[in-house]
Amino acid sequence: MNRFVRMTLAVGATLALTQALAVTRGGTLVYGRYADSLFLDPVLNDANLDIWILTNLYDTLLQPSSNGKGVQPGLATNYTVSSDGRSLKLTLRPGIKFADGSAITAQDVKWSLDRARKPDNGDWSGSLASIDSITASGGTVTLALKRPDPTLPAALATFNAAIMPQKLFEAAPGKNDAEKAKAFAEKPIGSGPFVLSDWKRGSSMTLKRNPYYWKKGADGKALPYLDAIRFEIIPDDNTRILKLQSGEIQGAEFIPLARVNELKANPKLNMQLFPSTKVNNILMNNRPKLNNGSANPLSDVRVRQALNYATNKDALIQIVTYGTGKPMKSYMSSTTPLYDTTQKGYPYDLAKAKQLLAAAGFANGFEVSCLATSGSADDLALLTALQQMWGAVGVRLKIEQLDAASKTARYRANDFQMRTAAWTNDINDPSQITTYYAIYDNVESVHTGFKNAELEKIFAQSQQETSRVKRAAQYRQIQSIYMNAAPIVFLYETPYPVALQKNVKGFVQIPLGNNIFTETYLDK
Amino acid sequence: MTTTAPTTTGVPRARSRRRVKPTLALGLVLLVPFVLAALAPRLLAPYSPTDFDYSAILQAPSAKHPFGTDNFGRDVLSRVIHGTRVDMQIAVFTTLFPFVFGSLLGALTGFVGRWADAVVGRVADLVVVFPFLVLVIAIVAVLGPGLTNMYIAVSAVGWVAYWRLVRGEVVAHKQTEYAQAARVLGFSPTRVLLRHILPNAITPAIVYLMTDMSLGILLGASLGYLGLGAQPPTPEWGVMVADGKNFMVTAWWISGFPGLALTLAGVTFSLIGDGLADALRPRS
Amino acid sequence: MRATYVLKRLLQIIPTFIAVMVIVFLLVRLLPGDPASAILGDRATPEIIERTKRELGLDRPIPVQFLLFAERLLHGDLGESSSLKVPVLRLVAERLPVTLFLTVYAAVLGVILAVPLAVLAAVRRNTWVDSLIRGIFQVGLSLPVFYVALQFLTLLGAKLAWFPIGGYGEGLGGHLYHLFLPALTLGFNLAAILLRTLRSAILEVLTAEYVEFARSKGLKSAVVMSRHVLRNAMISTVTLLGLNVGALIGGAVITESVFAIPGVGRLMIDAIFGRDYPVIQGLTLVFAVLVSLVFLVTDLVHARLDPRVEHA
Repeated sequence: MNRFVRMTLAVGATLALTQALAVTRGGTLVYGRYADSLFLDPVLNDANLDIWILTNLYDTLLQPSSNGKGVQPGLATNYTVSSDGRSLKLTLRPGIKFADGSAITAQDVKWSLDRARKPDNGDWSGSLASIDSITASGGTVTLALKRPDPTLPAALATFNAAIMPQKLFEAAPGKNDAEKAKAFAEKPIGSGPFVLSDWKRGSSMTLKRNPYYWKKGADGKALPYLDAIRFEIIPDDNTRILKLQSGEIQGAEFIPLARVNELKANPKLNMQLFPSTKVNNILMNNRPKLNNGSANPLSDVRVRQALNYATNKDALIQIVTYGTGKPMKSYMSSTTPLYDTTQKGYPYDLAKAKQLLAAAGFANGFEVSCLATSGSADDLALLTALQQMWGAVGVRLKIEQLDAASKTARYRANDFQMRTAAWTNDINDPSQITTYYAIYDNVESVHTGFKNAELEKIFAQSQQETSRVKRAAQYRQIQSIYMNAAPIVFLYETPYPVALQKNVKGFVQIPLGNNIFTETYLDK
Repeated sequence: MTTTAPTTTGVPRARSRRRVKPTLALGLVLLVPFVLAALAPRLLAPYSPTDFDYSAILQAPSAKHPFGTDNFGRDVLSRVIHGTRVDMQIAVFTTLFPFVFGSLLGALTGFVGRWADAVVGRVADLVVVFPFLVLVIAIVAVLGPGLTNMYIAVSAVGWVAYWRLVRGEVVAHKQTEYAQAARVLGFSPTRVLLRHILPNAITPAIVYLMTDMSLGILLGASLGYLGLGAQPPTPEWGVMVADGKNFMVTAWWISGFPGLALTLAGVTFSLIGDGLADALRPRS
Repeated sequence: MRATYVLKRLLQIIPTFIAVMVIVFLLVRLLPGDPASAILGDRATPEIIERTKRELGLDRPIPVQFLLFAERLLHGDLGESSSLKVPVLRLVAERLPVTLFLTVYAAVLGVILAVPLAVLAAVRRNTWVDSLIRGIFQVGLSLPVFYVALQFLTLLGAKLAWFPIGGYGEGLGGHLYHLFLPALTLGFNLAAILLRTLRSAILEVLTAEYVEFARSKGLKSAVVMSRHVLRNAMISTVTLLGLNVGALIGGAVITESVFAIPGVGRLMIDAIFGRDYPVIQGLTLVFAVLVSLVFLVTDLVHARLDPRVEHA
């Protein structure tokens, strides 16, 4: 057998000792969302609208820590990885229960993970692809791995690895997994701190406290503090803010950045900017020819670098994010694990931009077109500003606004020259964004067409590298190569803007975007 | 299914004396600044409508910027002035085709009747029961956003109102004595239609045209709210109002002044419409 | 006689519906993008998109898809929403009453606003009262709906706190209370349209011979007003209401967004942007049926009020 090397976890360090003893229990928090969830199955899902609240309904074996850098215990009290990295053993927390009071067994865990890693199931099975087989016995679950996988703990703390009740799911009506999932997700029974009690689609969703939740609060009694959360769907930004200001709701997500300073000045409100993994950038088509057959100046790395130099990030941060953002210095956010702090990014340097363009044969500039999402005030502000900035080096930017689905269709067909884009990590590991942004074989490097053999080689190594130090060095190289090749225009990182009433305490939106209400309470 | 058209009277009109009414006069006077701004925006606007001024972002109205500046430091007054041309264009192009096509078709089918009338009637029903926004969004999505495609979308739907108005009038006028008389006198049907019936039957359509023009501008604003209106950096009032909605509390002038322009244009068109209706209405 | 007329009209509608269904079916498939891409977002790999398309039955030839759709429709099944994964009929049953309530509410408010003011404006024609009434409504009509809606919200909802800010409320009282501002927004617009027509209709009737005659017989002007003038004026009101209800239902889209009302307007917008074919198709059909019914009822009421209208 393998010798197990014990990995210690930062046990419950985040448990709010600093919040003192003055927590208040009970009450309903009304939270304004800009759009409703679509489908509450953790596995067959790919919408942030779902993902960002799913962990309130379904708990995972491990949880992302609220600073976004690591994992903390969840349904499992700890995990150990064998010395050859080929096996991972989890110890389940004793006495854990689903929201209906039935016990969470090792078999439920095995079944849930098996369902999540089945290649036909959803978009996320890849995150658990290194698992070869799962054995459950008593209070432990052992994952036998095909290869060492440094990302697995983070993957086990991700929404798709949520633990679901096998019996209840299988008892749901339907011929196959997809149909059962639909039926089950109508009124899911999960393992998270809350359980769905009422859902008026497009209007409101009410979550009730799960009385069987395992985690203890600062007062020594079981979490969560709140009796219930009611999400109200308020698509219009102005209306959402007015409702908050009038006290009809206690929290509102997605405050337009243009209004952050105004709400900060409101003494009745607590305007929060939660650190996020959100990076905003412009994807460039790096291919020599565009879909219509015309030559593409962006295929020249000097042109792409020039556009990066000609982009005044500080000005954009003022104009578009109203001072809330910070410049991107790598393709991944600075909140991502293994982000390389030595990266410099592209400083604003018009002379260098002109020089690079001249060297590439575009001294007089050229015309370039960028797809934007219609109705997005941010896209509009950004591109209108870039029109001006790039105009200074002779680059004439044409803005093409499309509704999101049309834009995605053009993007998938590689039928674009530039497009606005944003990314948030779903997993506390740099491998996810790297797979999408830098690896050709997945989705053609987010359809930029960027391909770099050296980078891909280093990445493949890093995917099996269990030493964090070595992996960090590999990621430094990856980030440098990517930065030099400039397949994208690096813009800025933005936070999650959430406005709360002053009496709402203990709410956090973690860098991945998940809204965590576990320790939220309404102060008297 | 045929719906009742809002016909006015079926009584023949003696063409009235062409004296300009006060309403019409006021409307025409109000139209002058719009025409001037549309023709020579550069002469009137103090600044460029598209240039940024980072040092003057979100400034309240002042002597330097009478309408204030927007979130890019652009002068709102200059944008409103430059927007006039775009919006007058919208007013004309969203209504020109529907008016001409719908009216001619209405005259024709109303005059000929029978199967032609029935076929067009069915098509009109189809257009009316089809949710308008679906059609507009679909057309704009297929063809790409922008004003031209908006014109196409609106035209596909807008002709029905004119068709209905003119058709109803023509049907009523066909029976009138002077039309009968013209026929008895041996005038060709085309001549009877074009010279005798249409000039009388077109009045409600002209009046409606004026309302339709401000509706066209408003539709541009609604599409702007959904992000499908005029493309940046084109200054267009509706889109300016929509873009300013995040600043309604902190910088009301960004949406307030283009909103005022929209209202003034609406009032102007409406006054002209009412005035025309008065002028063309028979004296009793 | 009336029953056969209604039946004849209903039969006439059927080909229109078939045409509407064919057009919307093809139109949604002409839109760039597809439900699979829309559900899966930017990240999905081609394989996953293909698989999802297969699950949604979108891999089959379009004629086959249409036949399946038509067959289901004949059984009263509108299919299942591709994004929300619930039957379209259920969505319609949940959302349509909200929009209908709002629409009727708006129409009632519109009439309540327009009729007395139109009478006043007509009686005091060409005075400052007339100008003021017409002026206010003209301004309202010339502003974008979302702007008017936001102004109402800010002033009556937030500043004065007379009405709740958005939402639908519980129970009849709650609905009436919560939907007042959105209904006022839509009703104000409608009133502006009604007012114009109504005012000139009243003016025309006021100068008509039979009213002069009634006056000369010594009937009080209040009686004349209610018996002759309003009755005739109502004819044009009903006609206009009928013509505009379609626009009202359609116009609810933006009002519903601003006021956070879970109606079919918002559902439709979400469905279009989410390329949710079954929902777009289902709602279009429902919309067509509704508008046709309103037209039919308008014609019937019209015929009743105005004996001159003959049944074609």
